[in-house]
Amino acid sequence: MSGAEDAFLAGTARPRNDDPVLLPGLTLGSLTDRIAALALRERAFFWWWVAVLPCASLTLVLFGSIIWLFYKGIGIWGVDWPVDWGFAIIEYVWWIAIASGGTFISALFFLMRVDWRTSTNRIAESMTLFAAACAGLFPILHLGRPWLFYWLFPYPNTMGYWPQWRSPLLWDFWAILTYVSASLLFWYLGLIPDMATLRDRAPRRGKQVLYGVMAMGFRGTSRQWRHWHATYGVLAAIMAALVCSVHSIVGLDFAGGATIGWHATQFPPLFIFGAFLSGFAMVIILLIPLRRLLRLEPMITGRHLDVLCRLLAVSSLALTYSYMMDAFTSWYGADAAERTMFAARATGMYWYAYWATIVFNVSLPQLMWFRRLRMNQIVVLLICTGVIIGMWFERYEIVVTSLHRTHLPSAWGNFHGTYWDLATLVGSVGFFFFGMLMIVRFIPVISMSEMRSLVQRQNS
Amino acid sequence: MAAVFKPQANIAAKLTLLCLAALVLGGIGWWWGYPRTNYRRQEFWTVQQPVPFSHEHHVNGLGIDCRFCHTSVATSSSAGLPPTYTCMTCHSQIWTNAAILAPVRDSLANDTPIHWHRVYDLPDYVFFNHSIHIAKGIGCASCHGEVNHMPLTYKAVSLEMTFCIDCHQNPGPRMRPRSEIYNMDWARDAMTPSPKALMAEYNVRAGGRLLDCSTCHR
Amino acid sequence: MSASRQWRSLAELENDPAFIEHAIQEFPSLREALAAPQKRRRVLRLLAAALATGGLAGCYAGEPGGHLIPAVRNPPNIIPGLPNRYATAHVLGGHALGTVVTHQMGRPIKVEGNPYHPSSLGATDPYAQAEVLGFYDPDRAMLISNNGTAASRQALLAALVSAQGVIAATSGAGFRILTGATSSPTTERLMARILAAYPEARWHVWEPVNRDNAMRGTALAYGKPMDVVARLDAADIILGLDSDLLGGAPGWVRYARDFASRRNPTRTKTMSRIYAAEPSPTLLGSIADHRFVAGPAEMAAAVTALAGAVLHGTSTEAPRWVGPVAADLKAHHGRAFIHAGPGQPAETHALVAAMNEALGGRGATYDVIDPLLAPAASLDALIADMQAGHVSTLLMIDTNPVFTALGTHDFAAALRAVKFSVALAKAPDETAALATWTVPMAHDWETWGDARGHDGTATIMQPMALPLYDGMSAAEIITRFIGETPGTDLATVQDTWRDQFGTSFDTAWRQALVDGVVAGTASTPSDVALSGSAGAITPPAPPAGLRLLFRPDPRLHDGRYANNPWLQELPEPLTKLTWDNPLLISPDLARRIKLRAGDKVNLRTSAGAITMAVWVQPGQAPDVMLAWVGNGRHVTGAVGTDIGWDVYPLTGGDGSATIEKAKGSVELASTDHHNLLDYGTATVDTIVRHASLDEFAKNPRFAKEAPTPELYWRKPPGPVAWAMSVDLNSCIGCNACVIACQAENNVPTVGKEEVLREREMHWLRIDRYYEGTPEAPDSFFQPMLCMHCEKAPCELVCPVGATVHDSEGLNVMVYNRCVGTRFCSNNCPYKVRRFNFFDFAGEDNRPAVSWNPDVSVRARGVMEKCSYCLQRISEARITADKENRRVHPQEVVTACQAACPTQAFTFGDVAQPASDVAKRKASPLDYALLEDQHTHPRTTYEALVRNPNPAIKEALG
Repeated sequence: MSGAEDAFLAGTARPRNDDPVLLPGLTLGSLTDRIAALALRERAFFWWWVAVLPCASLTLVLFGSIIWLFYKGIGIWGVDWPVDWGFAIIEYVWWIAIASGGTFISALFFLMRVDWRTSTNRIAESMTLFAAACAGLFPILHLGRPWLFYWLFPYPNTMGYWPQWRSPLLWDFWAILTYVSASLLFWYLGLIPDMATLRDRAPRRGKQVLYGVMAMGFRGTSRQWRHWHATYGVLAAIMAALVCSVHSIVGLDFAGGATIGWHATQFPPLFIFGAFLSGFAMVIILLIPLRRLLRLEPMITGRHLDVLCRLLAVSSLALTYSYMMDAFTSWYGADAAERTMFAARATGMYWYAYWATIVFNVSLPQLMWFRRLRMNQIVVLLICTGVIIGMWFERYEIVVTSLHRTHLPSAWGNFHGTYWDLATLVGSVGFFFFGMLMIVRFIPVISMSEMRSLVQRQNS
Repeated sequence: MAAVFKPQANIAAKLTLLCLAALVLGGIGWWWGYPRTNYRRQEFWTVQQPVPFSHEHHVNGLGIDCRFCHTSVATSSSAGLPPTYTCMTCHSQIWTNAAILAPVRDSLANDTPIHWHRVYDLPDYVFFNHSIHIAKGIGCASCHGEVNHMPLTYKAVSLEMTFCIDCHQNPGPRMRPRSEIYNMDWARDAMTPSPKALMAEYNVRAGGRLLDCSTCHR
Repeated sequence: MSASRQWRSLAELENDPAFIEHAIQEFPSLREALAAPQKRRRVLRLLAAALATGGLAGCYAGEPGGHLIPAVRNPPNIIPGLPNRYATAHVLGGHALGTVVTHQMGRPIKVEGNPYHPSSLGATDPYAQAEVLGFYDPDRAMLISNNGTAASRQALLAALVSAQGVIAATSGAGFRILTGATSSPTTERLMARILAAYPEARWHVWEPVNRDNAMRGTALAYGKPMDVVARLDAADIILGLDSDLLGGAPGWVRYARDFASRRNPTRTKTMSRIYAAEPSPTLLGSIADHRFVAGPAEMAAAVTALAGAVLHGTSTEAPRWVGPVAADLKAHHGRAFIHAGPGQPAETHALVAAMNEALGGRGATYDVIDPLLAPAASLDALIADMQAGHVSTLLMIDTNPVFTALGTHDFAAALRAVKFSVALAKAPDETAALATWTVPMAHDWETWGDARGHDGTATIMQPMALPLYDGMSAAEIITRFIGETPGTDLATVQDTWRDQFGTSFDTAWRQALVDGVVAGTASTPSDVALSGSAGAITPPAPPAGLRLLFRPDPRLHDGRYANNPWLQELPEPLTKLTWDNPLLISPDLARRIKLRAGDKVNLRTSAGAITMAVWVQPGQAPDVMLAWVGNGRHVTGAVGTDIGWDVYPLTGGDGSATIEKAKGSVELASTDHHNLLDYGTATVDTIVRHASLDEFAKNPRFAKEAPTPELYWRKPPGPVAWAMSVDLNSCIGCNACVIACQAENNVPTVGKEEVLREREMHWLRIDRYYEGTPEAPDSFFQPMLCMHCEKAPCELVCPVGATVHDSEGLNVMVYNRCVGTRFCSNNCPYKVRRFNFFDFAGEDNRPAVSWNPDVSVRARGVMEKCSYCLQRISEARITADKENRRVHPQEVVTACQAACPTQAFTFGDVAQPASDVAKRKASPLDYALLEDQHTHPRTTYEALVRNPNPAIKEALG
């Protein structure tokens, strides 16, 4: 291959917007071969084992701490009076925001017919799936009496009593339920044609049956394709709307309360912007190593990273605006308690959380404006990791510092997370990457069906 | 290459999907239905007692008034359970040697209380008050059923929250003249004042206060 | 029927062998557990739980679980579900506070004040409230023991007989009796008899928290020791010199009521004015109109100067405040009163007596009566005798000198030298551990007795229950030492009163029991005259330098309540400290030797040295350190052992001490987490609104806010509207309401660790705010409980509707519906909601039978909060409903309201104009906290008005 191509593979050459999204020379056959081969490998890569072991053990840590939580009670966490919400809510918002990134790429850009989206959407969607799964855990763990969570569900019970519909938490319950199930459907629907491909290529009977069942009898007739495209389009449209609604409602979980620091009209957009940022960051974090380890450079090219990085920078600007509004309203609102709280937030004992938020979510992503940095994948990786951390601190700052200074000084308090808090956090991270590794092992990491159409378009 | 699945596979697949759907629906049905079973509600289950005490015999047969044994029903939250002493007021005279009454005699002789098994059991967070219901013209039978026809006592109503709420929503039809409260066989007749009239007379207002959580839960 | 009723039946049955037998049949493993008495109650407690869950019969769906266990014969006057109330008294340091104890199914569950008792007038102090837990304390279970090994009652009686023989033979030589201070006529009578029987025997009294200085002072002034009874309602000017007038002094509960009657300008014609001079803040100083910081040296100077000005009309410079204060006092001749605390030297007390006489208050603002406490020899004399080996037999009744004796005395060593010593103790303690014989003492609620209130009024104390652990009464053991076979305690007490009641004994006796007071037993004011020389006395000038003062622990008194978790976890009024008693140092001292709260210091006096933590107390004199005695018990129950620091070893010196920073620091569990004086942009006067009397005269409605427009519709109140008004002019922060609420509403304790994690559960807290400089701040108290907002933010955010409004305007918390999202607490602007992070109630160290059966015991993971004592409202409503009438305006009295010594709380139906609460809410001072939140709280406050003296401002410049 020519030096230009090497550079292109490495993604260090300056991509132009009229660049092809894919490395020229990919044929339908070669492409399908490469991707299918990855899923059908008899033996996993060595690096896969190295990665899966820690993730699996962290997953055990997660479930261990959940069992202990149910046995002992919510008190094993750092939540107290007046900081009644803690890590559980922080992680919930954190994960749900990360989940969004996938939906943006797979649904929103699908509707906009963005070419470069095609080779990333499978990874993005899978990420959505597991991030949403992590997120879905926490609202239940957070409850004082988790075994009664179903009381949020309106069913005809023997008490003749129904949920309280004015509560944002109830809206949240529905938003999450819809979002998780819809993501699962969307992901699976996209998978069906590829499952069929694998079924036909699987060497052994076992895999043939396994993939065959998952393909649900998809044989690629034009009728099936017509239905598939229609359904996929509709679902994509729904997902695009859902991803905005779910984050608005997560925002309302806070804005819906009269609590100082939360009671702000800008929360829904703020949370959507946050979701953009952390979503894209996590996608990049997954893409960079995967394209290397799985030799996917021809399909996930420098152009992809380039676009994603620029998107990251843009969403960071949007978020910056929200942060400024946050500061502005708490000053302009002229509510003594609000101002006291904000002062405490920026300069008090939790100053680090606030400034971590600013540094990681506002300053860091701005580096993405520089092409040279954008092209350096190590730098990009670091920046994105920074963003993910920054987003966690943003939630910490919203949840904890808002609560630790209330209207009455007599009710001021502090918050100290415990080891169990940490265990649950790292556990959920482990669980997430464990899931991703399973996808990488058994599922085509790139949608072959969609790629084929893309390649056709490009080569014609 | 050979097809992975034979044509029957389609049927199998469809059946599996149907079964899954059925399972889900069934689960929901069970979730909804089980709490409403008499088994779960312990409704109409006669409870074995150390002494096979028959309300039927004592109320219908001998015409003993409820308050003879349940002394505090009109004055206190608790209706009160008769001490052994009460049983022996009669049974020191009659059936003095009956084998089934041995536990009662022993109880008095060795000063050991009788351990009756519960028939009605409200959760600790429900604070029921007998006296106010008596005062407002709710007959014993409304909750305890026709005890006078129970050779062995059983729970006559579900005692679920909806059971209480139904009445608290519209008490009128279940109210009766105070004179008839302890009358197990009483039924509305032409002479009975209308529900409205009774509610007015006993100054009971439907809804509002009666439906407050704080009426039963503290 | 709920499980709580089963517990009741258990309560009756727990001493019933047949029941135990049955239990053993069910759980064979119980046999040996029940055999050991000290395990007995814990086991029974488990049984109660088992019963509650239908445990005994085993229970599965389809069969109702559990048993109903009626008595064999019904006990008289006990109807399940209806409370009984019996009058008695709570005795502390020999002084009685009349109480009425509420029973459910024959078991005491709540203490109220006795309206007929002059020391109470219906109110109580925290100690009386906490007695419920003291009574049920499982650690009270003790064995009769001889040199530490369990012994039988027969062995004890035999030992007593032989000892009595020896005593009788030697006519009591070497026989000594040591008791706490007492005013009980019966005890006095028995003591008189035993001393008559054994001329050589001696009776000694030791009360670590005593008023000996005051006694010696009045002796100097009047020629013999006298008690002073204040009448604060008649006093226009009150000057407290390091005074415990509103917390500690005998009768302080009554004094608080009298004081409050003159503090709200909308209800009293002339508002009183309070001056306080003190080395460290007291409750009186905290609510005073003028508070002067005065260490021992300044105090001595001030007293001399004051005496000069008041008695001899000499003018004075230093301290500058004395001039105007003296002028103010003299200007109110006959309506002024000066009170000195027990920490002041006898000379000061003598001068104060002289000044009060000169100010003409006698008979108006105070009376002088003969001492109430029975005279007896001192502890010093006893220890001297013991060390000299003159003591062969020592009987110690309800006293703990090994722990409480002055650090300069080594009572333990002296005790070891005594051949035969008997300790009659209510619970395991340091003294009982060293005595030859330890005998469990019957609790005041388990026996008959009598005691006198601060004004001499006698109360006959009747037993509230059969002894839980067969304890022996003081009367019985004394009678045995006399050498007679004791009759019943009832007979003994009746004998005391027989001649006084005369012919109509039975009626008089019955009346005394019903009223809780013996009519006409109040002491008549004495006419003893002031000795001429009294005015010439000058208090000794203490040496300069650091002074270490000792005060009784505000929560544990002298340490006797150390095993009571309610009191251990009660936030101290000013520091809000729980579970600890650090050394209080002044901000100035803290700055000088670079100490922060929690830092450890080495403290050394002539008596001894210890290492303890410090707490910085605003408003404390620069060179004063203050230590609370009472905590740091070495031998007591599971709750109080080795909590805090034992500072008794430091006592007894000349008051000088050295302090140096030590290594390390400890976390102190204060429920007050904010920076003491920095409230951010919030200011105290927006929260505790306050003004001077002049400002109030100019604008009586100064506390009102101009209403701001609201977006949302507000539901109009219903026909019944429960509401509360809290008068900030009355609240002295004494904490009686906090414990009353805890007792009434089954509020669990959480322990020091959980308090440190900010998870205390008190439904009712008293906020304390400071304004001004750390050296001399103004302090403010504000009781904080659920506001029952008409537009409650908490209700809006609960997804399951577990907190809702009822038709009478109560914001009700439905525990059994709560899933524990805790959003309601986040959304509560007042932060009055509490959450069960763990199974706090389950872990509480108290028998199931001690809970209030009318209130749910909350489970883990459930939110809870003040319910306006819903159970009391329900009781009243049902009674009224049965009579087809409306609930009377004053029919419902909440626990806090009932307990409050100053009637700061008013509760009732604001929809009835006749109700007190409606009247109070009509007061111009009435304001709603955080009004701008538009929550429309049903609980409102009456703003604080203070009555400063303009002359002081000029004098101090």
